[in-house]
Amino acid sequence: MTSARYLFPALVLLTAFLATWEGYVALSDASPLVLPAPSDVLNGLWVERHAIARHTSATLGVAVVGFSLSVVFAFVVSVILHFSGWLRRGMMPLLVASQTVPIVALAPLMVLWFGFGLLPKVLLVILVTFFPMVVSLTTGYASLPRAFRDQLVSMGATRWMVFRRATLPSARAQFFSGLRISATYAIVATIFAEYAGARRGLGIYILAAKNNFRADLVLSAVLVSACLTLALLAAIYGIERMTSRRYRRETDA
Amino acid sequence: MLEVQALTIRAGADTLVKDLSLRLEEGSLTCLIGPSGCGKSSLVKWLAGVLAPDLHAEGAATIDGTPVTFPHRDIAYQPQQDTLFPWLTTAENACLGLEIGGMDRRAARDRVKALFPAFGLEGHEESFPDQLSGGMRQRAAFLRTIVQDARVLLLDEPFSALDAVTRLHMQDWLVERLAERPRAALMVTHDLFEATQMADRVLVMASGPGRLVADIPIPMPSAERSETALAEIRSKLKLMLLKETS
Repeated sequence: MTSARYLFPALVLLTAFLATWEGYVALSDASPLVLPAPSDVLNGLWVERHAIARHTSATLGVAVVGFSLSVVFAFVVSVILHFSGWLRRGMMPLLVASQTVPIVALAPLMVLWFGFGLLPKVLLVILVTFFPMVVSLTTGYASLPRAFRDQLVSMGATRWMVFRRATLPSARAQFFSGLRISATYAIVATIFAEYAGARRGLGIYILAAKNNFRADLVLSAVLVSACLTLALLAAIYGIERMTSRRYRRETDA
Repeated sequence: MLEVQALTIRAGADTLVKDLSLRLEEGSLTCLIGPSGCGKSSLVKWLAGVLAPDLHAEGAATIDGTPVTFPHRDIAYQPQQDTLFPWLTTAENACLGLEIGGMDRRAARDRVKALFPAFGLEGHEESFPDQLSGGMRQRAAFLRTIVQDARVLLLDEPFSALDAVTRLHMQDWLVERLAERPRAALMVTHDLFEATQMADRVLVMASGPGRLVADIPIPMPSAERSETALAEIRSKLKLMLLKETS
């Protein structure tokens, strides 16, 4: 009931937008090479479903491998930075500065250095998604109230005990918000990497469709990539809820 | 029992507490009162081993004549906020001190659960802190402190977040809990009514720099502490505090 209440306005607006688009194309005689109607996009998606599915699975594979490695890498780095003030002071400005580099523009270089295989694409996904997670984790660690730390220290807790029992659990919400931000970049970064050079993937499919003047297929692939990102976000939301002890308790009851 | 000798706490060039010495006896509840900023909390934090990093302390302490450093396993500390971790259940929160002290998780849980009825928390073992009332949260915090079986308890304004009625109930309740075992308790409070109602002894601190200016014993059993019986001590303390803050 509640989710229907939230979704309903969005569905109304989306339907209105698609209907306007469809109506404009029908009335204006716009060339389908330039602006295909939503129905053309859906039709293209259906006709090309086998090819698009093949490319989608390649993109999803790269995004999931890259994103998973990025989560592990970001967690390890955040723990190291947490325990070493010197490294934290040294690394954080460099990490922030690294974000001024348009990382997607590095995609062609990655292909040049590492070839057309999995490695350059996975590296690009890691580069793009790593930073928001490190920042959200370190911010989460820093948000531990001093009184919580004091309570544990007065009980004789070591630095590691304080981290495991208080710092880490208190950073949970921040970690998941970083995860969501990174997830929205993961598919986009993969498509960019494929754009720069790949044998399979939505990126290369979009490039080929564009070169064949098939705007409908470009938009079909764009629609699929948006759905992939939404699916990734939904999966993270599910993981967040299922790993919450309180949620598990409520569903058990 | 616990003795502090010549404690001085500095914040840069400022002296927060100067040359303070005190002795806490087993089986007694000592209340520490004084104006804001006189260093009450800093003294307690030093004893708990959690003095803020920008403060510098000099001084010595002994337990039964043996020199000690802080944090120390014979000392349990309860900060001003209840500091119950929101991601742990009440029982898990109560076990924290025991588990950090090295006790096996199951043994800690058994020991803690046995105390839930006495702390008025029976049936709330698996509740999360935000599902408890203010008074219950405070009792859970006391449970976590008291179950550690430390010989010295440091309580930093434990009732400051409670409403007036809950506070009155909790004062009598805490005195009963403390009397169950001989311990030395040091409680910081702003409230001289609370101090005279609960304490065996009241220490008065003055500020600028923080030092002890009076040590007033209240050798009266709890049952005899009526408004009239305490009136004289209260007015004496009130005058003293007003003088220190004027």
